Amino acid sequence: MHNATQENNNMANNVVLKIDDLSIAFGGLKAVDALTFDIKEKEIFGLIGPNGAGKTTAFNCITQFYKPDRGSVHFRTNKGEVENLVGKKPHEIIRKGLVRTFQNVELIRELSVIDNVLVGSHIEFHASVLSQIFKLPKARKEEAKFRQQAEEVLKYMGLYDIKDQLVAGQPYGVLKKIELARTLMCEPKLIILDEPAAGLNDSETLALTEIIREIRDKYNCAILLVEHDMRFVTDLCDRICAISFGKLLAVGTPQEIQANEQVQTAYLGKGDE
Amino acid sequence: MNIFIQILLNSLETGGIYALASLGIILIYRTSNTQNYAQGSLSMFNAFITTFILIKTGLPVGIVAILGMFCAFFVGVLVDRVVISRTLKMHSVSKQIITLGLIMIFLGIAPMIFGTDPLQFPRFLYGSHSVLGATISYNAIVNISVGIIIMLVLFFMLQKSKWGLSVRATASNDVVARMMGIPTPLITMASWAIAAALGTLSALMLAPTTSVNLSMMDGVQVIALLSCVLGGFQTFYGPVVAAYIIGTVSNLLSYYVSSTWSDSILYLLILALILFRPNGLFGKKIVKKV
Amino acid sequence: MSKQEKKQAVKAKSNSPYKQYLLFGLVLLLIPVLVHIGVIKYSFLTIIASILIYSIVALGVNLLVGYSGLVSLGTAGFMGMGTYLAAYFTADLKLPFEISLIISVAVPMIIGVVTGLVSLRIEGYYLAIATLAISEILRKVFVEFDVVTNGFSGKDADYPTMLGFFELDRNSTFILIVVILIAVMFITHNFINSYTGRALSTMRGSEAAAQAMGINIYRYRLLSFAVAVGYAALGGVLYIHFIKYTYPNAWTLLFSLNILAVIIIGGVRSIPGTILGAFIVFGVPDLILKNLPVIGDIDGLAYVFNGVLIIVVILLYPAGLIHFWHNTKMKLAKGRKGKEGNHA
Repeated sequence: MHNATQENNNMANNVVLKIDDLSIAFGGLKAVDALTFDIKEKEIFGLIGPNGAGKTTAFNCITQFYKPDRGSVHFRTNKGEVENLVGKKPHEIIRKGLVRTFQNVELIRELSVIDNVLVGSHIEFHASVLSQIFKLPKARKEEAKFRQQAEEVLKYMGLYDIKDQLVAGQPYGVLKKIELARTLMCEPKLIILDEPAAGLNDSETLALTEIIREIRDKYNCAILLVEHDMRFVTDLCDRICAISFGKLLAVGTPQEIQANEQVQTAYLGKGDE
Repeated sequence: MNIFIQILLNSLETGGIYALASLGIILIYRTSNTQNYAQGSLSMFNAFITTFILIKTGLPVGIVAILGMFCAFFVGVLVDRVVISRTLKMHSVSKQIITLGLIMIFLGIAPMIFGTDPLQFPRFLYGSHSVLGATISYNAIVNISVGIIIMLVLFFMLQKSKWGLSVRATASNDVVARMMGIPTPLITMASWAIAAALGTLSALMLAPTTSVNLSMMDGVQVIALLSCVLGGFQTFYGPVVAAYIIGTVSNLLSYYVSSTWSDSILYLLILALILFRPNGLFGKKIVKKV
Repeated sequence: MSKQEKKQAVKAKSNSPYKQYLLFGLVLLLIPVLVHIGVIKYSFLTIIASILIYSIVALGVNLLVGYSGLVSLGTAGFMGMGTYLAAYFTADLKLPFEISLIISVAVPMIIGVVTGLVSLRIEGYYLAIATLAISEILRKVFVEFDVVTNGFSGKDADYPTMLGFFELDRNSTFILIVVILIAVMFITHNFINSYTGRALSTMRGSEAAAQAMGINIYRYRLLSFAVAVGYAALGGVLYIHFIKYTYPNAWTLLFSLNILAVIIIGGVRSIPGTILGAFIVFGVPDLILKNLPVIGDIDGLAYVFNGVLIIVVILLYPAGLIHFWHNTKMKLAKGRKGKEGNHA
């Protein structure tokens, strides 16, 4: 289906992320095996597969939390350049315009909701340490500017009323939303969401579908997500990539994927759905 | 040449002392994910107990040493039951700090019970023998061989016995080990007990040259930790081998370079070395789960 | 401040505590006056001054432990270095106090940063081991390098001379210490509440989130360690100019542990907690334990007291003893709220 010999930098103009032959093994077990797909600009792209199929591992390889053994991750940065992310440090990735959430919600319990969201714009802050400790005008202005931006994002996500509450003790669905809000602070080109609908009830899931579409339009970015909820994925995604045991099964529109026999066996044979 | 052999023989002895202490530290680290900074002060405290037994009973030194190690064993159990067993689920920083609190307790209690004056602990044996032009004291032979025998027995048990299997299972993944029915809290307790006994033995080997005093184990504690750094925290044998290497290099430095600055140079060398081997000489890289 | 406002201050944590810090400073400034009229003993001033100096040092360590989750065992070494450098520069080289202050803080910071550069690349606990080793080396230097340090007999210095002509005495040096402590509290508060502070909190709460948000963990760990070393050295400079004497055995591992005890007992990530902790760890033994009948004379009592307190606090009150204070305040506020009726 994909031509692996394609020149790496030869990325079509409307492609934002292109991963090629991505592979990683843990102690002989191939968690991600020669995975290849690409995501177009402003596309909502779903990655599905049974439990343990290597979806989160693939995310971690793309965002460089794991160093892939083989393969490349080409990304069109927010400056319009195409760069291979492999070999970059995990903290350098967001500067390229790629931001992610985590399966187990990585928020800071001791910080307020708005402070957690503000962490999302960390890379936009430039005031020196001196300016910060003496609260010089530059530091104040910067803080005020991003605080306002964070408030807008929180309003947009319907979290404004709890902005000064601590994150500790918030319900799971709210935590998921806060984490999503945090990704919106850095003008992303691509947002990677690890199980955004986990822990949400039906109406919340429906609302999330809407929000994610709106985010795509408002922020002009592509979205890559992993989700178990098949209905959610088929409703939301433009294209879907199905994997099993780290290997690619099929890429296509939701209808194509649903009709794909390999996908059906993978899900019915070993799936948990 | 004679001097070189002499240095090597001495190094076997000092290396053995460091190795015993570092084996205790690595045993505790691997089974309860705790950096034990109190290994030295725990050993110092037990050396005081042992010397006290010697003074009160007048039994032969060898027997007193064994009694002392038994006492240490129980002090280790006590420390685990009273404090460590309650910390198992804590953040590793809290655990580290707990052992730092233990240092203060041992350093505070020792002078309360045993007074502030240093005590003398005799050698196990007196007299010496010459080998290849170098002299080695009988006491050194005892120290070297006892240390090596005890460590060999421990390594054999780690590999072959049921206890060893449990320790290794706990070390590689305590959650899975617990699910397999291994009583991990008991394994942690045993590690503290054994570590205390090993540390006490190392303190008793050191005691004839330093006297039994509050700061006798300070240097050993630092070197034992650095042995773990140099040998890597991922294996049991790494720190032991590193301890012998450090013992040798330390003796070479103090003879050929400067006896005053040998330890300082050694520390800097090890710190510089981890730039090139971040996981130690025998360590492996670990992938963190996200 | 009306009751209403106070209540809001309790509720919104971000509300600035500057007024409280200033008030605390003013209360401290009363102490020399009270000593002068004879209400408090002369030696009391020395004890309080030491506690305030240790508070500065502990604030730095609190930043390191509380926000980076790193432990340094080199506090004593770096503070000791500050004392020796300041003594050498002002007493031997006759450099002005201000210049000596800058160099005496900068040099330990450079050594600290180099230590951090090496050890922080690996696991967090390597810093503790590396700083333990560095501290041992520094102590060796204090003993052996007697051209500068005067060896075992220790080194003297005098009260500082500000701006080259303004000679301070015991009381004015005390005031200087109070002013610097309050300034350090302000600065630390601002630092914690800046984006850098948020980055540190994030790093501590979740390394993965920090990295995903573009926070360079290595760099921020290094920064917090540099601050901790800087505060320790600053404490050392103040110490030598107030106590006027430094010697190698003052800077052993036990001192580093005492500083650690300060923050654990008082409250990790709390500025008032650190001050409270310093008063407990350094004040209680000197002011209370020593005066107890019979057991007061026992050597090592203070260590056991602090050691037990560390363990008890970690096991039972992980937020530190300042937590009690906050809890009581909250309860009081709630009680009042109940009486006054609704206020959402």
